[in-house]
Amino acid sequence: MPAEHLARFLSAHWGEEVSISGLKRFHGGSARQTYRFDASAPSGRREALVLRRDPPSSLIETDRLAEYRAIQCFAGSAVPVPEPVFCDTGPDSFGSPGFLMREVPGGTAAGLLEPEPYGAYAGAIGAQLFTALGHIHAAAPERAGLPVMQPQDAARARLAHWRAAFEADRFRPEPLLDAGFRWLEANLPPQPERISIVHGDYRSGNFLHDGAGRLLAILDWEMVHPGDAHEDLAWACDPLWSNFSGRPGATYTLAEAIAHWQAASGLMLHPERWRWWRLFAQVQGLVIWISAAREVLDGRSHDPVLMFAGTIPYRFHNLTLARALERLT
Amino acid sequence: MSLPLPALLGALAAAQANEVAPALQLLGQPGAPDANYAGGTAATSALMLMLAAAETAAGPAREAAMADAARSLLGPAAEGRDSRAAALGERLAAGDAAALALLAAEAEACWQAIAIPLGLPLPVPVD
Repeated sequence: MPAEHLARFLSAHWGEEVSISGLKRFHGGSARQTYRFDASAPSGRREALVLRRDPPSSLIETDRLAEYRAIQCFAGSAVPVPEPVFCDTGPDSFGSPGFLMREVPGGTAAGLLEPEPYGAYAGAIGAQLFTALGHIHAAAPERAGLPVMQPQDAARARLAHWRAAFEADRFRPEPLLDAGFRWLEANLPPQPERISIVHGDYRSGNFLHDGAGRLLAILDWEMVHPGDAHEDLAWACDPLWSNFSGRPGATYTLAEAIAHWQAASGLMLHPERWRWWRLFAQVQGLVIWISAAREVLDGRSHDPVLMFAGTIPYRFHNLTLARALERLT
Repeated sequence: MSLPLPALLGALAAAQANEVAPALQLLGQPGAPDANYAGGTAATSALMLMLAAAETAAGPAREAAMADAARSLLGPAAEGRDSRAAALGERLAAGDAAALALLAAEAEACWQAIAIPLGLPLPVPVD
């Protein structure tokens, strides 16, 4: 992403000559290329901005406008998000579809293998994280411009989505994943009492904190969709995102997470749906990791992040799914 | 691993040329737009090289052990990960708990092969 390209675009939008400095691409985030930069103009206007745009090859196929609308929906609310600025669903502005947000200063995100990423603030981060999740689930999906979904379709639609992705990307026998799909298809859960905004990738690593116990922003909304709130809660509490702590998101206890989520969402944990969505989380994870490996296998990407996804998280979820299936039989 | 080892090694070789070498050129140039990205790419690639080496070392013994364990159940189909997985999958679909136990054991051995070099434990349940 040349700085000249951004300068040209912003100059047209600001109506004065814009200079770009401090352009930096963030590592990771395979569904998007993410850059930060400072824009300044002769009038004294100066803004620190973040650009997220589509890469040539992605871990998951996503909709940039849905992501942008979700961030717009929660801007200025109890759910901390970056301030949205501009979205272009075509390639004209940024070379590929993408959008601009204001930078959230001073934030850091946890790494997958980082032990105790929040230190003494794990409890404080957990309280804010699962309360924010509850607030997301309390909001009406129409506010984010999401398509209408009937409650009876919530589980079936997500299952069909990931089944289709798996069938498209599978490249070797995956007997545990096949068994996981079979169990989910044969044991569809009761429908949710209402359809919620589902972030789709709500987990440790996809939010910024200040290192002193304050949650700054929920990021990475590219998988947002309407559905059962239990889907997000189960994904957020999956052991993969616990940094081997046994605590959801490496924060505090599962009971505390559920209590804060319930209080903020106005929903109650439904044990049967919870069991179903927890298994679903592992199945979804495996499909994502297999799709990442397929990108590498087919030569569409040489990004080591995709190799990592096809190795460590894949083996993790293959093992946890095996153990989960053993408990079901 | 989901990526067969030969495919992973080939991809890593391609990544060194196409991703890591250009990334290394940018390291030490903090003003370059992709210098931050370059450091992450180089580090992730190094991690993957280490895991590929660990898998290369552990793979043959694990394969022999898994084939031995499955041979009485599967016969010749026990040889080779994909053949064994397909055969165990058919039995699992028919409700064979022994097939699930063998698949779980192989999943654990596969995890340990990369987890031990990284100092990672077995997955910890969130309950």
